[in-house]
Amino acid sequence: MKRKLGYMTLPLLMAAAFTTQANADGETIAVFTKNQTNPFFQTVRVGADNMAKSLNAKTLQYIPTKPDSIPEQLSQIEDVVVKKPSAIVFTPVDYKAMVPGVEKINEAKIPVVNITDRSAGGKFLSFVGADDYSLGLETARFLLKSLGGKGNIVIIEGVKGSLTNVDRVRGFNDALKEAPGAKLLASQPGNYQRLQALQVMENLMQSNSQIDGVLAANDAMAVGAIEALDGANRKAQVIGINGTKEAIDAIKSGKLLASGDYNGFAQGCLGTMMAIRSLRSQPVINEIVLKPTVITKDNYQPFNVPLEQRTCPTFEDAGKLSAK
Amino acid sequence: MTDITKDAIAPPRSFLSQDAIQLFYRLLAALLICAVLAVLSDSFLSLGNILNVLRQASLTFFIASGLTLVVLTAGLDLSVGANVALSACIAGTVIHKTGSPALGILTGLACGGIVGLLNGIMVTALRIPSFIATYGMLWVLNGLTYWYMAGETLHGFPTGFRQIGSGYLFGLPIPIYLLLVFLGIGTFFAQRTIWGQEIYAIGANPVAARLSGIPVARRLMLVYAVSGTMAGLASIIFLSRLNSAEADIGESLTLPAIAAVLIGGTSLFGGVGTVFGTFIGALILTLVLNGMNLLSVSANWQPLVTGVIVILAVWLDMKTRRRTQ
Repeated sequence: MKRKLGYMTLPLLMAAAFTTQANADGETIAVFTKNQTNPFFQTVRVGADNMAKSLNAKTLQYIPTKPDSIPEQLSQIEDVVVKKPSAIVFTPVDYKAMVPGVEKINEAKIPVVNITDRSAGGKFLSFVGADDYSLGLETARFLLKSLGGKGNIVIIEGVKGSLTNVDRVRGFNDALKEAPGAKLLASQPGNYQRLQALQVMENLMQSNSQIDGVLAANDAMAVGAIEALDGANRKAQVIGINGTKEAIDAIKSGKLLASGDYNGFAQGCLGTMMAIRSLRSQPVINEIVLKPTVITKDNYQPFNVPLEQRTCPTFEDAGKLSAK
Repeated sequence: MTDITKDAIAPPRSFLSQDAIQLFYRLLAALLICAVLAVLSDSFLSLGNILNVLRQASLTFFIASGLTLVVLTAGLDLSVGANVALSACIAGTVIHKTGSPALGILTGLACGGIVGLLNGIMVTALRIPSFIATYGMLWVLNGLTYWYMAGETLHGFPTGFRQIGSGYLFGLPIPIYLLLVFLGIGTFFAQRTIWGQEIYAIGANPVAARLSGIPVARRLMLVYAVSGTMAGLASIIFLSRLNSAEADIGESLTLPAIAAVLIGGTSLFGGVGTVFGTFIGALILTLVLNGMNLLSVSANWQPLVTGVIVILAVWLDMKTRRRTQ
């Protein structure tokens, strides 16, 4: 219990610091993300901060100290319900387990926008996210196109049973079905970890003398696979997912073929925008499902800009970006 | 007084031979797995794959070798993985900032060692049970690393530095040489030095150890510092092999290291076990994953198979131990 109080005090202190500084005109938006370890959520947070700043509001970040911790996010919700921010931008650490938490927010009558992972329940004024399935499908299609629709392929999966992995791998497999010339040699778990992916790749190279393409469910694993290929002096086209800075560098240097991006920056921007617009009684878009971008050697430049210098889409752009 | 101390800590003959029997069973288990894999997969027995397995086992072994000493004293170090993560991130930054791999290596080892020493201080001076002290340390280290890295990754290190983890010498991967060196040092230290024997004695019976004049607190401090320093070494190998560091590498390293120690036959109750056993433990874990990759076992089944093998290995250990006692 003592330890629990320990990590709860950080957001409390931040909240206290904030309330003393707060101006009457600026709303407070509490932004909930899943962890501090995945670079994706860093882009979400910077996007949210960027948008809040441009609309003269402020953000308050809530991040579990233990990545994706359900009890910790629940206790952060309890904090936030007491602190009563103007609105909440919410990514559940688990789309099912956090439903009671969302219901607590609903009971406290704090408006809340759902971003990234779609919550299985609760009332939201808007959803902003992307679709892991099409991310897997589009990146795999790109790989197969560059291989001329044929070749020996391996898939390196993320954490088995996680929503993101299930959908991405399903996308990979559906793209493979479209290319009868391609052969799936193996689909093995790397648990989103680069070391595990490196070792899986090393092992697969022992039993497969020819591997032409690697579909990795995130960038860290893609980079791990590339290290393994380099170490064995072998070549294959590798794709990853997430559009991390590391992936962009690898695309620039020609080591990585492509990375799928579901635009965490825009998710942070638009989620915060919808929250603030609803507070200011402006119209909001109820559902924005962003189209995936396949980042390649030809279009990486906008992703090569430091996060702080990127600009958020406008409300008009949001309408166009929205698939529905 | 000196004579009494020596008598108290010198292991009786049967003690060592029991360890030898345990090691024999363990080697047998590893060989059995190898035999099965050799039948099922053509590529398993290739030289490339054998080197591959040894190199992969080395990282787990480095972490687990220091941990073995801690477990021998009936303690546990849950912070090793988090220690590897912090040490890797700090060592990586030093190399990026100064361009000097040597400085980075020293920083990584020092960072690991200091964390280990702090664990040792908590366990001895503050008398916090090691499980709790190192669990707390795990959170502290995670917090520091997440804050320090802020969701970024470090990547791209000098080619010379990369040789440590990815290079070859006379056709063998360099981590395998390091593995042999540390296996030798660890075994010699534990079996052939007074300090090593004192560590066994502390694990077997701390009260008797104290009464017979062993400086228990100082020896405990030493084992936690060694465990931390080995985590520091592992962080360097990790950096050099993966060419990158990120905050969340720790979680996937701790449990395999603990599992390697236990599969290797070191008792959680202290006083029984060997560093060589831990090497076999790391090898068994690596073989299982290697085999499943070679055989393309479905990703769904892999955790289950790993779990069953771990349970089987420890169960067999308990069974054979009872028989030999």
